[in-house]
Amino acid sequence: MTVTIADHLRALPDDALGALLRLRPDLVVPVPADLSALALRAQSRVSVARALDGLDQFTLQILDAVRLIRNPDGQTSTAAVLTITAAPAQQVASVRAALDRLRALFLVYGPDDALQVAAGVDEVSSPYPAGLGRPAAELDAAAAEVCTDPVRLRRTLLAAAPAARAILDRLAAGPPVGTLTAAAPPPQGADPAAAESPVRWLITHGLLVPITDVPAPAKAAAGAVELPREVGLLLRRDHGPLGPLHPEPPAAAARAREPKAADSAGAGQAMEAVRQTEALVRALADEPAQVLRSGGVGVRDLRRVARAAGLDERTAALLLEVAYAAGLIGELDVTGAVTARGGPEQQFLPTDRYDMWRATSLAQRWEQLARAWLAMPRRAGLVGERDERDRPIAALSAGVDRVMVPVARQAVFDVLADLEPGAAPTVDEVLALLAWRAPRRSAGREALYREVLGEATLLGMTGLGALTSYGRLLLASTDGATVPEDPLGRRSAEAEEEKIEAMRALDALLPAPVDHFLIQADLTVVVPGPPESALAAELEIIAEPESAGGASVHRVTTASVRRALDVGYSADDLHELFRRRSRTPVPQTLAYLVDDVARRHGGLRVGPAGAYLRSDDEALLTELLADRQLADLSLRRIAPTVLLAPLQVGRLLALLREAGYAPVPEDASGATLLTRPKSRRAPARPSVTSRITDPLAAPKLSGPRLLGIVDQIRRGDAAARAARRAPAPLRRGDARHGRGPVAAQSHSEALAVLQQALRDKTSVWVGYVDAHGATMSRLVRPVSIGGGYLRAEDERTETLHTFALHRITAALAEE
Amino acid sequence: MSGGPLIVQSDKTLLLEVDHPDAVACRMAIAPFAELERSPEHVHTYRLTPLGLWNARAAGHDAEGVVDALLRFSRYPVPHALLIDVAETMDRYGRLQLVNHPTHGLVLQAMDRAVLIEVARSKRLAGMLGTKIDDDTVAVHPSERGRLKQALLKLGWPAEDLAGYVDGEAHPIELAVSGRDDHPAWTLRPYQREAVEHFWAGGSGVVVLPCGAGKTLVGAAAMAQAEATTLILVTNTVAGRQWKRELLARTSLTEEEIGEYSGERKEIRPVTIATYQVLTTRRGGVFTHLDLFGARDWGLVIYDEVHLLPAPIFRFTADLQARRRLGLTATLVREDGREGDVFSLIGPKRYDAPWRDIEAQGWIAPANCTEVRVTLTDAERMTYAMAEPEERYRLAATARTKLPVVKALVERHDGDQVLVIGAYLEQLRQLGEFLNAPIVQGSTTNRERERLFAAFRSGEVPTLVISRVGNFSIDLPEAAVAIQVSGTFGSRQEEAQRLGRVLRPKADGRQAHFYTIVSRDTIDTEYAAHRQRFLAEQGYAYTIVDADDVLGPPLPSVD
Repeated sequence: MTVTIADHLRALPDDALGALLRLRPDLVVPVPADLSALALRAQSRVSVARALDGLDQFTLQILDAVRLIRNPDGQTSTAAVLTITAAPAQQVASVRAALDRLRALFLVYGPDDALQVAAGVDEVSSPYPAGLGRPAAELDAAAAEVCTDPVRLRRTLLAAAPAARAILDRLAAGPPVGTLTAAAPPPQGADPAAAESPVRWLITHGLLVPITDVPAPAKAAAGAVELPREVGLLLRRDHGPLGPLHPEPPAAAARAREPKAADSAGAGQAMEAVRQTEALVRALADEPAQVLRSGGVGVRDLRRVARAAGLDERTAALLLEVAYAAGLIGELDVTGAVTARGGPEQQFLPTDRYDMWRATSLAQRWEQLARAWLAMPRRAGLVGERDERDRPIAALSAGVDRVMVPVARQAVFDVLADLEPGAAPTVDEVLALLAWRAPRRSAGREALYREVLGEATLLGMTGLGALTSYGRLLLASTDGATVPEDPLGRRSAEAEEEKIEAMRALDALLPAPVDHFLIQADLTVVVPGPPESALAAELEIIAEPESAGGASVHRVTTASVRRALDVGYSADDLHELFRRRSRTPVPQTLAYLVDDVARRHGGLRVGPAGAYLRSDDEALLTELLADRQLADLSLRRIAPTVLLAPLQVGRLLALLREAGYAPVPEDASGATLLTRPKSRRAPARPSVTSRITDPLAAPKLSGPRLLGIVDQIRRGDAAARAARRAPAPLRRGDARHGRGPVAAQSHSEALAVLQQALRDKTSVWVGYVDAHGATMSRLVRPVSIGGGYLRAEDERTETLHTFALHRITAALAEE
Repeated sequence: MSGGPLIVQSDKTLLLEVDHPDAVACRMAIAPFAELERSPEHVHTYRLTPLGLWNARAAGHDAEGVVDALLRFSRYPVPHALLIDVAETMDRYGRLQLVNHPTHGLVLQAMDRAVLIEVARSKRLAGMLGTKIDDDTVAVHPSERGRLKQALLKLGWPAEDLAGYVDGEAHPIELAVSGRDDHPAWTLRPYQREAVEHFWAGGSGVVVLPCGAGKTLVGAAAMAQAEATTLILVTNTVAGRQWKRELLARTSLTEEEIGEYSGERKEIRPVTIATYQVLTTRRGGVFTHLDLFGARDWGLVIYDEVHLLPAPIFRFTADLQARRRLGLTATLVREDGREGDVFSLIGPKRYDAPWRDIEAQGWIAPANCTEVRVTLTDAERMTYAMAEPEERYRLAATARTKLPVVKALVERHDGDQVLVIGAYLEQLRQLGEFLNAPIVQGSTTNRERERLFAAFRSGEVPTLVISRVGNFSIDLPEAAVAIQVSGTFGSRQEEAQRLGRVLRPKADGRQAHFYTIVSRDTIDTEYAAHRQRFLAEQGYAYTIVDADDVLGPPLPSVD
């Protein structure tokens, strides 16, 4: 009877048990009740899969070996494993080490002579250990017969045609199952007479066995074949039964860069990334981006900020994500605005943190970005792709969330960090290393790893393809943050130290901030390095930026000088500033420009006034100014003949009149306004005198009035008839009245009717389509036709209408 | 941090700090691949452009060298992306080559098969490529050579043209270095010789030399090297005559061997000088003078002032790809942005010498540029304020207030040869009267003009007032002072040409003076600023003074 895993666990000393739990921490969440429960959990699919995911390719191969050679009881021995791996002397140690790793994880357990595989392993691993098929005996009697006789097997194998042999070799390399379409390439240049396809031949000769119980990966179940284990082993005789073993990670033929050169290129890129992020966030500050209903930044906004920052959209999306993760961007409710959905409208804007971030040194700024990038569970490469519902994925939206991304980044950097400083592996080399380190985990992640490497280059974590020295330090400090056992905070203090170290390393590579510039005769101002914050603030006002990068070039223009004067610099301040900041003599042209603009600055004055007072009599105005009664008016003299007052015209007039002057108001064009005082009156009411008249008596009507009333009635009647009868003949599809021809009236006919009506001065019905596409009709009297327009009078409303001729669908003379 | 003199900006400009001890070495290193954009006194700006990088490739520089130069001299870390971009851009040149196949004639050959497949699919190349000879080679009809190169450049895969040239009709031409007639013996200046050597080695291409640096002689030397019939294309008749004069004086060519092909005369001789204008004349939509290109078996075609080359000439040039082509210019910057066509049709830049360098070597005179601002009288200001917008510049430029200032300047430079240059004839007439100086304008007869020039040369006439005819390359010797009173709006080209008038080296090494008189607070000031920007970028610092400073008591010497 085999010993169960629970028994083994029970037999373990405490520290060994502890070691297992440390290796597989998921076993204690939640803490199992007893060792049986622990054993059960240790063999569960999820836990085993997790343990397997972390194993490298070699260890997995050894595990396959154990699975392959266990006897029907499920047991095998270390010796057997060593035999099957056919390990040369120097590999024995690594095989043993791999076995030890497996045993430590309790994926394999038992003493050396009775190794067993944990139950869950088979469930979560390929059914074909080491890429070998099942023994022929399990598959097919005919095949079993061939395979039991090694000589016959070998002979059959040698008799196989080259095409058939190629198929065998492919299956022997694993996996041993192929679907027929895939397994049977079209016979190339084969004699059509040899009608038998290679697969058919192989099957009839028992080297392949058709199967139906195909595992999930091979879906075309109908025509699948499997290579019996014996055949596979025979074909693998050159490499041993397990196929080629990979005890060592693939050697990265990494080009060795001068670490200094790599650092320098990386630092350049780091500086660039910081500058680009700043430009991007500034673009958001200038014009905030709307938060989409589904979250995130719309394509148009993304394109806009990208263009403003001079970036392509992919880079912009990445840097936006990083800036958001670093807390430099946030959403703000737009007060008052409400979206269609009812919630408040939101915008992406820089946060307060952005201002603090800007005030820090370049290295610190980069460090914040890089750290945010390392930790953010976002895959920026997805921005612009389509999601499962075929909608574009927006930057900063939930569609970019991918929990595993930080782990993937960690994995990539683990690989890079293990290489020599300055080693610059190609992308494919990194992928190969990752695939060796954790084949199960890396499968399907190649695209992600590529993205991570691309982003690392963009952010300056790597330079010339090699991990930079400061990047290495930064990673070391973030590693510390994930170590949980740190009750005294010692570890985090160390991490802090490393972080500072990383920044110091980067700082040394980056240009030091400068506090001066060089001015040239073409009025350009060159800051030979990143400007100090005070200098940057000054430059923002006094010059226009022209080119940015390690240094920056600005140009002093008339407009920029005026802007400086507007915010309160005087000409002398500007001269002083240029003198103080410039390392080179201030060119005479610049000094002249400043003086020239300053001379004209304020040459025009604008100010508020409620009313003005003007008089050709200067003495009178002087008198007004001196008048104590009028002191409250706060009059101001702006010219010998003009005073200004903050009061409105009416009040000023009243006060002046009160004080005994004789002002006259003017309107805006200077014409005198003479008004008679208007007395206030209540609304008119009928006088009682009218009530005396007999209410029953008919009112007396004068002749003209009578005629007027008659005309009014007639017109009312005509209008009413018109309204009743109105659009009927002109309505589209109105065939009831047999008036079809009118609706289908050609344009020229309509025009003829209109022209006739114009000559006869009669009214016509006009049907037309208005600007909204609605059909309308109107009874009008044409006044003129010309320039593509009909002008006509509507008698009912007595207004003049203009109709575009091309919009008129029909015209009908009034009957 | 290496503390080098160069700062690499992310917009691909390079800032070179001139006062840095390594600046000279750095300039030598980056000059082959970066275009000098501005060269004011402290920090020169170069720009990395695909064309510049390809020019460097054509001259035999490789990406490694470029990246190395950038890294070596850069003060700050250079962004990785920029280096990659440089390497990738340079790598695109020469992936495709135009060569002469021994049996198939002209073929396009690919060093990289994928590129050939890519470009062959492009719509731009439709009809230009002939039959496929093998996977890497496609036949090209010789008549498509130019257009194909143009199209490939637009696709970003510039082809290297190794197909060689026809020799053309031989014609003996020698440089008359020992002196001829009344001219003394002379030699080519070192940079001129270098320019010709570079051009000849490259086959075809452009030589960039500042105004007054003797581009004509480079042309003459190239002709002597080619010893073949030559077609010279110039901007206008006046320039053509000057070419003729120079060629007669500096080469073994005789009057009978040089033909002028212009609006007036249509002579086709072994050396023919034609104007752009006559070549681009159309009658009934047809270019009537195209035959000139086929009239002789030209061995060399020289394009004067390539930056002004009109579009139709590019089209004709596309058909001339088998002839050696030499472009001459002071600046490769074209206002219409067709630098790419110059590159693909005439050829890569073969030689470049910055203005200031040549000045430092003493080949052109140092100049002192001054802008004098006059304040308009109140009456003039009122007229100006009420004028129609299109009249404003004329009013501001021709203000009478400028006259006394000009006079004061002329008096200050008593004893020097002074040119007064203006654009408005009425103003020139006033100036002529006011200064009591003769006027040369468009309507002046040739004989009168020659007489006045001779008198000016001899010093008999110390002051000459000239109109816009002075913009063109007439040979005015030893003008030490130029005073510009009005110009053609904001033309930077004109300003440079006019400055060129005084830049010819002075016999006694005196300083040249260039004055611009500008009306304050008017559009004149704006145009002047625009014009000056070009010169300021070339390192000519302007000083701005008020008219009162000029009119007032003489300043302590400005020199």
